[in-house]
Amino acid sequence: MRLSPALAVAASAALLATAACSPSEEGTNEGELTTVTAGVIPIVDVAPIYLGVDQGFFSDRGIDLELESGSGGAAIVPGVISGEFDFAFSNVVSLIVAREQGLPLTALTNGVTSAGEQGADFGGVFVLDDSDVNGAADLEGLTVAANNLNNIGDTTVRQSVRADGGDPTAVDFVELPFPDMPAALETGQIDAVWAVEPFASTIREAGHREIASNFVDTHPDLSVAAYFTGEDRLAQDPELFADITAALEESLAYAEDNPDEVRRILGTYTEIDEQVIEQMVLPRFPAQINDESVQTLADLMVTDGLIDSEPDLDALLP
Amino acid sequence: MSRTTLGQAQPTPENTHTPSPKADPTEQESPVARTRRRRPGNRGPAGAALRTAHVLLLPAVLIGVYWAFTAQPGAGFYTPTPAAIGTAFVELWFSDRFFVDVLPSLGRLAVGFALAALIGVGLGVLLGLDARVRATIEPVLEFLRAIPPPVLVPLMIMLAGIDDTMKITVIVFGCVWPILLNTVEGVRAVDPVLSDTARCYGITGTTRLRVLILRSASPQIMAGLRLALALAIILMVISEMFASSSGLGFAIVQFQRTFAIPEMWAGMVLLGIIGFVLSSLFELVEGRVLGWYRGLRAAHRGE
Repeated sequence: MRLSPALAVAASAALLATAACSPSEEGTNEGELTTVTAGVIPIVDVAPIYLGVDQGFFSDRGIDLELESGSGGAAIVPGVISGEFDFAFSNVVSLIVAREQGLPLTALTNGVTSAGEQGADFGGVFVLDDSDVNGAADLEGLTVAANNLNNIGDTTVRQSVRADGGDPTAVDFVELPFPDMPAALETGQIDAVWAVEPFASTIREAGHREIASNFVDTHPDLSVAAYFTGEDRLAQDPELFADITAALEESLAYAEDNPDEVRRILGTYTEIDEQVIEQMVLPRFPAQINDESVQTLADLMVTDGLIDSEPDLDALLP
Repeated sequence: MSRTTLGQAQPTPENTHTPSPKADPTEQESPVARTRRRRPGNRGPAGAALRTAHVLLLPAVLIGVYWAFTAQPGAGFYTPTPAAIGTAFVELWFSDRFFVDVLPSLGRLAVGFALAALIGVGLGVLLGLDARVRATIEPVLEFLRAIPPPVLVPLMIMLAGIDDTMKITVIVFGCVWPILLNTVEGVRAVDPVLSDTARCYGITGTTRLRVLILRSASPQIMAGLRLALALAIILMVISEMFASSSGLGFAIVQFQRTFAIPEMWAGMVLLGIIGFVLSSLFELVEGRVLGWYRGLRAAHRGE
């Protein structure tokens, strides 16, 4: 007990401190831009928003968009709740879980969607080339690495196993960061890995074999992630969010139509090797969330026990 | 070579020619030693009640302050009330999870700490006794010591795998240093007069090691072990944040990621309790091992 109250006080102090700094928005004089802060994970998926800033889709609407990097959904969601971020990017499973836990989050637009092609998606399951595993059903009784457990990776991989006629509860998942996956696979510590681009390309390049496209197995138009904000924040400033949504939609459409531009912008905010950028499979960036695919994902989450009851998707989806 | 980072916990002063361990009533005394010494006056039920009150008073106040904070409207999702944390605590840890997450963690902690103690004391005695070996190895040790164990995790995954071996290695690698360095200092500070006397009486080999060297260095060794214990708990949690699928550290991170905030707090409370219990147990052991030393100091002080 010695530690916990001290932690409690420290944490409360930290929370008070963050609560004291209100959103970074200043009064909007004529001609002046409204500063908006977005929380993003600097990975391939958020290329459209970087393109949107680059192409002026936000400044055209009077928005000065600042992109802040977060390490993952768990770090970004509190930022949205506290008002530090006006909106942010997260995968759909995290958003559904957050909503179920009582966080009033609501999606603005789609974020990233499966490329929809078996064997050529931006994420997949890989095994050693000489492995006995030929399909997802063969993963039964084996260990599979995912970057986060109880999230979109393992949920969709379980669906691949199920779709292939296997028993998903017989697959063991272990948490491993993407960059550590190739080594763990090669030393035989794990039997299979689930990875997304650019790591998927690196793994493919190393000669490992892709056995399943778990996003496609779940839904060919699977909405993997979305841009979202808090309900309170949205209600506070609906006009601003109408502009943000429009700018996001324009950015997504631009990214969808110009894959070369996506590859170009990736070189500016990531450290991905140029050759990998050229080769890797890009996701699709439709602006509309595919509601049906989110419903499928939500059903799987209930089946796998990530959430207890059927979530209220109408409240989450725009 | 400076040992200031560990110095505060070293009960004996620098090597001198007066009989060691020498008594210095003003400094060098660990707070533990102080409470121990007063304990005879606190015996009996009244003393026990007083001690319990001392232990519980500040936590009670802090929990009260926190409760008042969370009771205000809009205190927030991330600061659940102590009641919610308590409910989550009971639901979580008085269930299967105790066996799935907590016991394996404690097992790894125990094995890691024990290995670190063995390696630290063993190598420490070796280095402390031989100046040449020390001069050769110490720079390397200082280098290794400065490496934060978490950055070695990817490497350890390759070398030791993703199972318990890796996690125990992380614990050992992190908490061996205070034990090792304190043992070296303790062994170096063995009183030369006593050492010569022992030699004159023909006390050599393992007897010399047992009754002279380890005994004489034990205050420092215990101080090193105490530091290492605290480190071991932290490293237990860190090691479970990588390549894991069970364990207390894994569970806490998992709760945080799934926005199960009362559960996350319940995990931290449990960690705190584990730390407190282990530290109390350690104090008991230390009281036994260092009883002679405290008696000696008290005698020097004329009590």
